[in-house]
Amino acid sequence: MSSKEDKPVEQSQSSWKDFIYNPRSGEFIGRTARSWALILLFYLIFYGFLAGLFSLTMWVMLQTLDDYTPKYRDRISNPGLVIRPKAPEIIFNRSAPSEYKEYTDHLEAFLSKYNGEHQQNNIDCTPGAYFIQDNQPLPKQVCKFERSLLGQCSGITDQTFGYSEGRPCIIVKMNRIIGLKPKPTPFINCTAKKDDKLSVNYFPENATFDSMYFPYYGKLAHEGYVQPLVAVKLLLNSSDFNKKLSVECKIEGSNLLNNDDRDKFLGRVAFQVKVTE
Amino acid sequence: MTTEKSEVFMVEPLNRGNVSKKKNRFSLSSIMTRVRRRGGKMENMKREVEINDHRLSIEELEKKYATDIKVGLSPADAAERLDRYGLNKLTPPKGTPEIVKFTKLLLGGFQILFWIGSILCFIAYGLQVSSDPTSPRDNLYLGIVLVGVVVMTALFAYYQEAKSTNIMAGFKNMVPQQACVIRGGSKLQINATELVIGDIVDIKGGDRVPADLRLFAGRGCKVDNSSLTGESEPQARSSELTHENPLETKNIAFYSTTCLEGTASGIVINTGDNTVIGRIAFLASGVENEKTPIAIEIEHFVHMISALALFVGFLFLFISLGMGYNILNAIIFFIGIVVAYVPEGLLATVTVCLSLTAKTMAKKNCLVKNLEAVETLGSTSVICSDKTGTLTQNRMTVAHMWFDKYVHTADTSEEMTGEQFDMSSKTWTALGQVASLCNRAVFRGGQEDKPISRREVEGDASETALLKFTEMVLGNVAGIRDQNPKVAEIPFNSTNKFQLSIHETDDPADKRYLLVMKGAPERILDRCSSIMITGQEWPLDEEMKEDFQRAYMELGSMGERVLGFCHCYLPEDKFPVGFQFDTEEMNFPTTNLCFVGLISLIDPPRSSVPEAISKCHSAGIKVIMVTGDHPITAKAIAIAVGIISPESETVEDIAQRLNIPIEKVDKADAKAAVINGGDLKDMTTEQLMEILRNHPEIVFARTSPQQKLIIVEACQNLGNFVAVTGDGVNDSPALKKANIGIAMGIAGSDAAKGAADMILLDDNFASIVTGVEEGRLIFDNLKKSISYTLTKNIPEMVPFMVYIIISCPLPLGTITILFIELGTDIIPSISLAYEKAESDIMNQKPRHPKRDRLVNIQLAAYTYFHIGIIETFSGFLCYFTVMAEQGYLPGTLINIRVPWESRTVGDLQDTFGQEWTYYQRAQMEWTGYTSFFVGIVGCQIINSIIRKTRRFSLFRQNVLKNRVFLMGIASQIIVAAFLSYCPGMGDGLHFMPLRVQYWFVSAPYVILIFAYDELRKLIIRNFPGCWVDRELFY
Repeated sequence: MSSKEDKPVEQSQSSWKDFIYNPRSGEFIGRTARSWALILLFYLIFYGFLAGLFSLTMWVMLQTLDDYTPKYRDRISNPGLVIRPKAPEIIFNRSAPSEYKEYTDHLEAFLSKYNGEHQQNNIDCTPGAYFIQDNQPLPKQVCKFERSLLGQCSGITDQTFGYSEGRPCIIVKMNRIIGLKPKPTPFINCTAKKDDKLSVNYFPENATFDSMYFPYYGKLAHEGYVQPLVAVKLLLNSSDFNKKLSVECKIEGSNLLNNDDRDKFLGRVAFQVKVTE
Repeated sequence: MTTEKSEVFMVEPLNRGNVSKKKNRFSLSSIMTRVRRRGGKMENMKREVEINDHRLSIEELEKKYATDIKVGLSPADAAERLDRYGLNKLTPPKGTPEIVKFTKLLLGGFQILFWIGSILCFIAYGLQVSSDPTSPRDNLYLGIVLVGVVVMTALFAYYQEAKSTNIMAGFKNMVPQQACVIRGGSKLQINATELVIGDIVDIKGGDRVPADLRLFAGRGCKVDNSSLTGESEPQARSSELTHENPLETKNIAFYSTTCLEGTASGIVINTGDNTVIGRIAFLASGVENEKTPIAIEIEHFVHMISALALFVGFLFLFISLGMGYNILNAIIFFIGIVVAYVPEGLLATVTVCLSLTAKTMAKKNCLVKNLEAVETLGSTSVICSDKTGTLTQNRMTVAHMWFDKYVHTADTSEEMTGEQFDMSSKTWTALGQVASLCNRAVFRGGQEDKPISRREVEGDASETALLKFTEMVLGNVAGIRDQNPKVAEIPFNSTNKFQLSIHETDDPADKRYLLVMKGAPERILDRCSSIMITGQEWPLDEEMKEDFQRAYMELGSMGERVLGFCHCYLPEDKFPVGFQFDTEEMNFPTTNLCFVGLISLIDPPRSSVPEAISKCHSAGIKVIMVTGDHPITAKAIAIAVGIISPESETVEDIAQRLNIPIEKVDKADAKAAVINGGDLKDMTTEQLMEILRNHPEIVFARTSPQQKLIIVEACQNLGNFVAVTGDGVNDSPALKKANIGIAMGIAGSDAAKGAADMILLDDNFASIVTGVEEGRLIFDNLKKSISYTLTKNIPEMVPFMVYIIISCPLPLGTITILFIELGTDIIPSISLAYEKAESDIMNQKPRHPKRDRLVNIQLAAYTYFHIGIIETFSGFLCYFTVMAEQGYLPGTLINIRVPWESRTVGDLQDTFGQEWTYYQRAQMEWTGYTSFFVGIVGCQIINSIIRKTRRFSLFRQNVLKNRVFLMGIASQIIVAAFLSYCPGMGDGLHFMPLRVQYWFVSAPYVILIFAYDELRKLIIRNFPGCWVDRELFY
């Protein structure tokens, strides 16, 4: 490589061409074919070795993991809340089905896994008590959560989930966390922000996530697990139409956090609703 | 050449110090001519030519300057003139305005990339906010941080530069010079800066001439024009017009020269910048400064890295666009890659490393003005050294004596630690007596506590040397003179060429008068009829005369100035006590005296110089002596200090030895060459370059300052980095032209110091060698530091690429990257500057400016594609480990980016079916950053250790020796731990506390890096020139 540095000055004009391919020395970008072959071979072996070492170290690391539960769960010590339909703002004209079809379809799809046929194998558990099955064989059993528990918001009686009458259903879901045991039984409380008065109906009526659905044992161990849900039917009056309502649902009555400064979705969820006539 | 040789044997005017005569008559005018060609500043030149005051009579002068030599200017007039012409001082060369300097720093190096990056950040943030007002402010922060980095780096560099400038400022603030001026009829002491044209000024020995003066009276006045011409030859000054050229005539004294002895009075004819020296200083500033090698190297790698960063950035911009990312994302990726790839802290590190070395060098008497010049000496392949003062002690010293038919050697070492000669002979007693008595030099008062060699003396160089010598050997010369009172004296004059005095003897019984005489040896011998051998007078026969000739030749050929001494006891009958000696009539004998001996003088080499020169030679540096002195003296000193090795011959030597004409000598046989300035004048550049190429040992004698510049240019044309030493104003062009100009701190003029890059505080050549060593060391250490710093850019950049391609959560954030660059890695990279030399760097050749780059392909390849890649794997292992142990197995991470980064997804499932809110994921992502960070930091610790050596095994090195280095590693760990564990780091800087075990995940890779590098070093040591050596030795 160094030899090209020594060339007389007058050759420097064509040196970049020589650098790409130098017909005299047979160098291509500063190296001969042999030199290229050698260095490529070196890097092939070297990187092959490194890739092997990386695979090995990764494999060793993965061996230390459990298949069913992650080693640490301290990043998610408290569950977040989400709503269905999944949208920060729910805006529709109650007399225009095309505008709320998106929401009702979404709810329908979401609730489909709570249909009876999916819950055949699930068992009826004792309400009010944790369904501990630490020492039970795999797969762990799942407590039944019937869609009908959601009453008017189940979509069984009213397929429009109340959207057609301007009293939409919102389903509140609590994030799954392996081993989480809320104490005592948490319930959902939805309020309007600011001074707006809001009356709501909860389904199930006590608005609780019953303890029997906890703890969760993880995707692999707890196949077919369904989370408990709370449906909120916003009982909007004609005075509430045509304006944006800010609603916040919080999880209350338990040790679960609902007022974290940073995480606005930890134990609470806020959304806006605007229904037009 | 032969004529030259004979010159040294010629009678030397005693009172004129060094070998003088016609040399450098052209020096000033030639430099003027040169500058005229360059600058074309005709305005100044015209004025220069207009000096004709030396031809005017006193009356005409009084009329011209409206002054009176008795009364001087009236104070009011002086004030008015001061107002009109300004202060009598040199305007410092206009430096670059501070704001321009700072702006340059803001835009230099990588800064442009950062500006682009930060502007893109602000644009990206603007776009994000316009589409979603709640979007995170990361890009805003990043933009601000980038601007901060730029400003901090610039401020830092500015501070460092300002610091070294301040050192210089200290030089300028010397004690204000005083001038003795006649104003309004009375003598006043005023600040020299307040002098105006027309002022009448008195100067006396020891003063600096305060302005250009036309002298109208002078008594034994001699000036040292060295600050103007570079020659330390004292020149007489009087009121006579001796030359048409104002620069040569005796009746003009120039600003900034020194009055050595005597007194003189003159009219101020030019002040401040209008003085001759002011014009030279001003015009010489037109010579361009050469770029320092380290600046070239830094530019080289800045360009290289910037180009690569932009290339990779754009590549991934297009890849991400091609993969369907929107333009906003693509821009963010581009910023990320550029920030990751550019080593933000590197330039600051380099600056600190250089300033550390500058500090070390300052301690060793090399004061570096321009920080970048720290390394230049290390790259230097040719040193053009001045003789007087740099190689020699700059004081005449008695070197040899000849009496009793033998040459005796005196002690010339600086500390007087050499051997003494045999003083038992009676002839020596007589010689010592003559030397003490026939000497007008006296010690200045109040110096009894100083060693003799350091005492100040009033008198010329030769007499000073003799006085110190006799004082040292005989002791108390003043006492001897008191005991032998002087009754008559004839000082030296150019017709007699001798000096004579008559004394009473110290023996009260002996009423004879003693006549002592010294002078040019052959003239003295001519006046003698007898010679003293072991205290007895013998008739001076032919044999004796031949002995004398031989000794005279021998001493002369050593470049020494030889003086002859004789005495005579005047017969008491003819010259009774109280005899009136008439020095005009010479009513006493001046022939048939008794010859006592010869004493020869030389400005001896500094004792540290020969070793320094031999070090230069073993370091592959050619030392060329460029002097205004006589060729014989120059050659003698060159041989004495080793610039010409004892076995080398010049063309002339060979011709003499083989007794053939010079033309027939094969020039290739002559290792050494002594080139006379007169011959140099007739040479073409090609001929000069050929001489420089063919002879390893060269002395240029009798050169003018302009020729110095030509020699420097020729050396540079041969591809050398040239160091030049100099002290006179006239040296300043050569000092500027040189790659590194070295001015003398003690003897150097302000202009020389201003033009130089480095100042030798002790004027000692040996300090240059220290500079070379430090320069080479810092070059090696910068290599280590840079390779260490560059390594992590790969593990910083690859995560971005992986992120773009497999769409996983971002493994390493941009802010985190900045914290590696500017946080954990800064001190370790600086501490590598404290490394000791790995091998004997002073036995290697200077680096090849084109081939031995600071950052070469090998360094880049090994750093980026070997260690960098290993560190990347380490980082990813940490990242995947943390993610997997919290629930996200690697498989799940692929293609998870969109929901992961979506703020509306509040229930993203991990591998185990758990659901995560956006903020929980963000914290998880930051934990990932921190783990990747820790993975890099772990490897960087071992990386800093392996970078301590480039060739030798670490097992052989005392790793714990470098304290600063250990501190560096400690700082790395402390900073990393602080970032991770300090509460509240998460939201601001995206650092999360990590479990302790994660700090050790990178262990396999840490061990691998160490083992791999040891293996590389092992192969390089054992198979030099092998493939690994060629490809992986940086």
